[in-house]
Amino acid sequence: MRHVFPFVAIVCMCSGAARAAAPDFVHDIRPLIEKHCYACHAGEQAKSGLRLDLKEAAFKGGDGWGPAIVPGKPDESPLVQFARGDDPDLRMPPKESDVPPLAAADIERLVAWVNAGAVWPDGVDTAKVVDKTDHWSFKPFERPAVPAVHDSAWPKNDIDRFILARLEAEGLKPSPEADRRAWLRRATFDLTGLPPTPEEVEQFASDTSPGAHERVIERLLASPRYGERYAQHWLDVIRYADTHGYEVNTERPNAWPYRDYCISAFNADLPYDQFVREQIAGGEPGKEASTGFLVTAAVLLPGQIGADDVSKRAARQDALNDIIVNVSDTVLGLTVGCARCHDHKFDPVTARDYYSLQAFFAGVEYGERMLETPEAFALRKEHDDARRRITAIDVELPRYQPLARAGYTRPPVTPHLNTERIAAVSARRLRFTILDTNVYEPCIDELEVFDGEGRNVALASAGTKASSSGNLVTAGVHELEHINDGQYGNGRSWMAATRNNGWVMLEFKEPVTIERIVWGRDRTEKFKDRTPTSYRIEVSAATGGDDAWTLVADSTDRLPFGTKEKTNLTGLSPEEQRTVAALEKEKTSLQARIQTIVRDTRVFAGNFKTPHPVHLLNRGDAEQRKEELAPESIVTFAGLVAPVSLAKDAPEPDRRRGLATWLTDPKHPLPARVMVNRIWQWHFGTGIVDTPNDLGRNGSKPVHPELLDWLAAEFVDSGWSVKHLHRLIMGSATFRQASAANTTGLAKDADTRLLWRFPPRRLEAETIRDTMLAVSGRLNLQMGGRGFDLFRSRGGLSGFPPIESFDAGGRRRMIYAHKVRMERDDVFGAFDCPDAGQSMARRRQSTTPIQALNLFNSPFTFHEAQALAARIEADITAEPAATKPHSDPVRRQIDRAFQFAFTRSPDALEMSAAEAVVREHGLATLCRVIFNSNEFLFVP
Amino acid sequence: MTFPERLSTGGRRLLDRRGFLGDSASALTSIALSSLLASDNLLAATEPIRPTIDPAHPYTPRPPHFAPKAKNVLVIFCAGAVSQLETWDWKPELIKWDDKPLPGGPAVTFQGPAGNLARPQYEFKPRGQTGKMVSEMIPHLAELTDDIAFVHSLTSKTNTHGPAENFLSTGSIFDGFPSIGAWVTYALGSENQDLPAFVSILDPRGVPQASSNNWGPGFLPAEFQGTTLSAKDPVRHLRPAGGISAAGDRAARDLLVRMNEHHLAQHPEDNSLAARIASYELAARMQLSMPTLNDLSTESAATLKAYGADDESNPLKAAFARNCILARRLIEKGVRFVQLFNGAYASGGALNWDGHSKLKEQYDVHAAILDQPAAALIKDLKQRGLLADTLVVWCTEFGRMPFFQKGVKGRDHNPDGFTCWMTGAGVKPGVSHGVTDDLGVKAVENTLSLYDFNATILHLLGLDNTRLSFRHNGFDRRLTDVHGHVIKEILAQPKQANQGMTS
Repeated sequence: MRHVFPFVAIVCMCSGAARAAAPDFVHDIRPLIEKHCYACHAGEQAKSGLRLDLKEAAFKGGDGWGPAIVPGKPDESPLVQFARGDDPDLRMPPKESDVPPLAAADIERLVAWVNAGAVWPDGVDTAKVVDKTDHWSFKPFERPAVPAVHDSAWPKNDIDRFILARLEAEGLKPSPEADRRAWLRRATFDLTGLPPTPEEVEQFASDTSPGAHERVIERLLASPRYGERYAQHWLDVIRYADTHGYEVNTERPNAWPYRDYCISAFNADLPYDQFVREQIAGGEPGKEASTGFLVTAAVLLPGQIGADDVSKRAARQDALNDIIVNVSDTVLGLTVGCARCHDHKFDPVTARDYYSLQAFFAGVEYGERMLETPEAFALRKEHDDARRRITAIDVELPRYQPLARAGYTRPPVTPHLNTERIAAVSARRLRFTILDTNVYEPCIDELEVFDGEGRNVALASAGTKASSSGNLVTAGVHELEHINDGQYGNGRSWMAATRNNGWVMLEFKEPVTIERIVWGRDRTEKFKDRTPTSYRIEVSAATGGDDAWTLVADSTDRLPFGTKEKTNLTGLSPEEQRTVAALEKEKTSLQARIQTIVRDTRVFAGNFKTPHPVHLLNRGDAEQRKEELAPESIVTFAGLVAPVSLAKDAPEPDRRRGLATWLTDPKHPLPARVMVNRIWQWHFGTGIVDTPNDLGRNGSKPVHPELLDWLAAEFVDSGWSVKHLHRLIMGSATFRQASAANTTGLAKDADTRLLWRFPPRRLEAETIRDTMLAVSGRLNLQMGGRGFDLFRSRGGLSGFPPIESFDAGGRRRMIYAHKVRMERDDVFGAFDCPDAGQSMARRRQSTTPIQALNLFNSPFTFHEAQALAARIEADITAEPAATKPHSDPVRRQIDRAFQFAFTRSPDALEMSAAEAVVREHGLATLCRVIFNSNEFLFVP
Repeated sequence: MTFPERLSTGGRRLLDRRGFLGDSASALTSIALSSLLASDNLLAATEPIRPTIDPAHPYTPRPPHFAPKAKNVLVIFCAGAVSQLETWDWKPELIKWDDKPLPGGPAVTFQGPAGNLARPQYEFKPRGQTGKMVSEMIPHLAELTDDIAFVHSLTSKTNTHGPAENFLSTGSIFDGFPSIGAWVTYALGSENQDLPAFVSILDPRGVPQASSNNWGPGFLPAEFQGTTLSAKDPVRHLRPAGGISAAGDRAARDLLVRMNEHHLAQHPEDNSLAARIASYELAARMQLSMPTLNDLSTESAATLKAYGADDESNPLKAAFARNCILARRLIEKGVRFVQLFNGAYASGGALNWDGHSKLKEQYDVHAAILDQPAAALIKDLKQRGLLADTLVVWCTEFGRMPFFQKGVKGRDHNPDGFTCWMTGAGVKPGVSHGVTDDLGVKAVENTLSLYDFNATILHLLGLDNTRLSFRHNGFDRRLTDVHGHVIKEILAQPKQANQGMTS
């Protein structure tokens, strides 16, 4: 067998070069490095973290190799090792590059220089160390002076003065005010994600007194629809989904309380600092859902992670990384995740900072946890009582079952549940041997063995060990340990490796006296294949040996599999039969109740355990642990924000509380700026900084830096009120401008970053769907709770076949859809709907033929077009004759359709074009066209 | 209104160049442009290249970074991790070691305890001029070895299917990154304006493990998402729902055009409005061209037979064969990136290549589905002259262990040394690059990462993996992250592919 020699071994075999007169760095060495190394190892983007154009950086070395130069020791200096090609595969410059390798004489000179102490004089470097902390967003914000403007009539508030000052400096003028119809449509979409109703249009049109706009804004902010709209923005950023992601992508059934928490937080105008604190440190009891924030990422389930320790450690690091990235991207607008493998190349965040931050989360696990409300406590007590009662029933019921192997005919095997009642026997082992199945390899979802007190002694948690003839494994689904894990259903079952037969054996921790064995293929009654139809159950009092088995039950006294008749098989009296029926009924209803309680008292949120030690990792590799680190906030900000530094053994909740305090310090230069920038973007489509998750040195520069700081100061001074910012922004003349383009504006600022007009934009995926439903009159405004399905089934072989026709539950707002990670909705997914894989801080606005096909041809559009047509027809029929603007019913229908969809009447041209189509093809045809029209899909 | 990419200085200069050359789409222009840029030394720079997308024409052909060898790509993606030891990576030493423990081998691998080493489950025979030893499991594909460049020393970053398929298709183990097909069409657009630029053909047995991650746009614009279809299931929403009459449909279309034009006249400067109008025109062209794609009645009986599409004894093979014919048609029509899946979801290895417990039994079934149709597809492409411009890639997310899992006859996941291959445009025929150790535990010579494999695909398309870039959440994201070296040893005429184009 061939082996690779470890790199170090080769290095050690090499001899040092001969000593020579010490070369001079500037004359002899730097030109060498410049010629052969600078192409990759100079400047801020130097490869592998190695810079050779700076003394300090060169001696520090790159990622994973330690100091590049060790004075006096050329054989231990990676610079020499790489240049010399000690390991030919690692030779530098790489052979595929166009940079020539060092000549032998050059290498000799390099070696001689290192041997002579590697003298690199100070002050000779031509490159300069960049001060990574010297960056606008790392400096404190103060409320800047409001600039003076020439046109003093235009501004409505200070925001406008900042905007106008810049426009005037660029020789641009603001656009005229939007007409009231357009403004109302814009404001309503902006704050609620829905269009105004014709009644709201009329109400606003008739309110000519001062403050009419402000009254609309207050009405919209008070609407529960506001929280649904702004929570959606937030969920985009934190990549919320109702599934676990990756290949299995199984349901995360209790994630939705976090979604509802966000909706109610926005509706209640929860101060932003408190919002952040609750999501990281946890809120008061009953708000456990808030820490769902920490665990919104996709995560590998235990069965998907390798059984080996290396895989487990790597998976844990990935899971922690997702928490760090979520917190830092979202709250700090800083790409801390870059420092996982090496010091951040642009921002002042070191790998040590990264792992010190990780220590704050070392006790956080992904999973479900109990709610801590009084209601939940009461429910849980009910749950425990129900469990006890079921145990009692389970002891009671088998008394009415005939004993196995006692001469009775027993009922046939069923796929879901079978009980073997046996005479009490002491056992150390129990073996279930399958001799035949109805089809395929046998599968058992749970094998339960009960003692006289009704305790299941088979459970792994009771110390029982399982073994088998062989396992057909599907990780996370069919595994041997699922045979006695206390969980039912195909998804937690054992499958034998061989077709139609196999055995599984339980070894109890100690001898137990057993009376009953209960087993099934799938207790949840979904699967009926792979059912053992012929079997033997034996026990042994010994822990070993193959000869000591006693047969206690088998299938020979059962009716053949598939036999239908079940009545009166057991020779019970009518009264006994009634007792059994009553007990079974009671048990079924208790089980259903337990399921409901379990569902209603659990939430997928941060689970908090004793923190594990955290180490600085070399190159982010969990196998290259360096020193242990304690929780500590990012060092760079120590001068501005009181640093948080805890002991290595600090208790779990203190860690998250500490970090939350640091993140919500009003003096912190980042969180307030990051959030006001997001809010600005949610109003105007683009933020003052157009990289909302990155305000660091690699992010974009703000177009209105003073305005950003002014808003941040205003935000903090208002008690971090998000609604205060909405009022300010929407009350501005800037927001009130028309969206029409002009050539001067386009010539100077095609992207409308300077806001010489209101930048129009296409509706987002969810808004299109919600708006179609609102206009068709079929939108169901039920809030909160479990999401509705967009797909008929989830995952597995059939993938995600879409639902094409939705009942009322499926016509709720799209934020209440059960969000399947990575699977976009069949119709609206194509409209840049985020897939919850990575943070989507800013939605794209793409235009594709698939969008056109979906919106033009889908059953969803067809159904809503029909519904809208029916709604209009009903309206027109019911309309009092006096108010009829047109005498002709078709023209009245068209007018009404335009009112619903565009909040305006058609002009003559539109009327005549529409009229011809409606008369020939019906009103629904016009409705289908309307849903596809540009006017319908763009915010004016 | 739109969100045009922030342009680097280099990008802006590129754009200006493009403006200067006009919006011509011919390959000649692309090459002329590359030479022009090269003479400026513009491409010697290292700054990111982020193509500018015209929202009204997102699939307009865009110039590559340098003269390409291939214009389009067919990826045959075998989901579930095909064992290298039963296919392309011949390990005679394993026969001697059959049923013996691996000295110093791991006690526990991905799925649990390790069993004894196990010989290749199929016989191997020398093939073609090269004499390359290839398994009897795939006799038809084995006939092609003289044209293939094998890479036997690939490694993955993970041993879990989902993340590994993500890694193969997106260069990241995490969910949410753009797939290679999205990257390529984002960079190059497409030659055919009546069909999607990137098509993913799903296996008749179902979706692959990482599902839409394999063809997703990630954070790239949604235009570049792969459109999924198969011979059985055409593109969704190609026909109006609800039994709308042809006349009613035409009337709706005409009215929509009139209303949108009327609206546009009031907003003359807005590109995105025009782009939406154009997208309906492209959709209409797709409605016309897509249905003919799936009409196999125009194929000769000989063709159907060659692919195995007429094999009534094996409906899954016949269905996969029809997908292969569909793949050829898409390539023929100039679709830029075609991804053809073989194998679905895990299901204990019953429906894909994840042979954990009954490898031989299951591979007999899977090989019968893959072998003849896939081989016929490549031969057909060659015979029609399409391989001159088409790169064919055969890949799988990782390999399998040389030992069986304890108690069963199947192999566990092995990300440390596995085989993928390429053939067609720009690929050196008949080479085997990289070596695993004598038992196939791990790569020991020229160890390469899937980053390198993907960098090579981009390179053959005239794209520099270190520069093709998209800015997202503060990162200049790339398909190959900060990694990826072109595997020059498998390129036809190495070092000449871009001579004079780089510095």
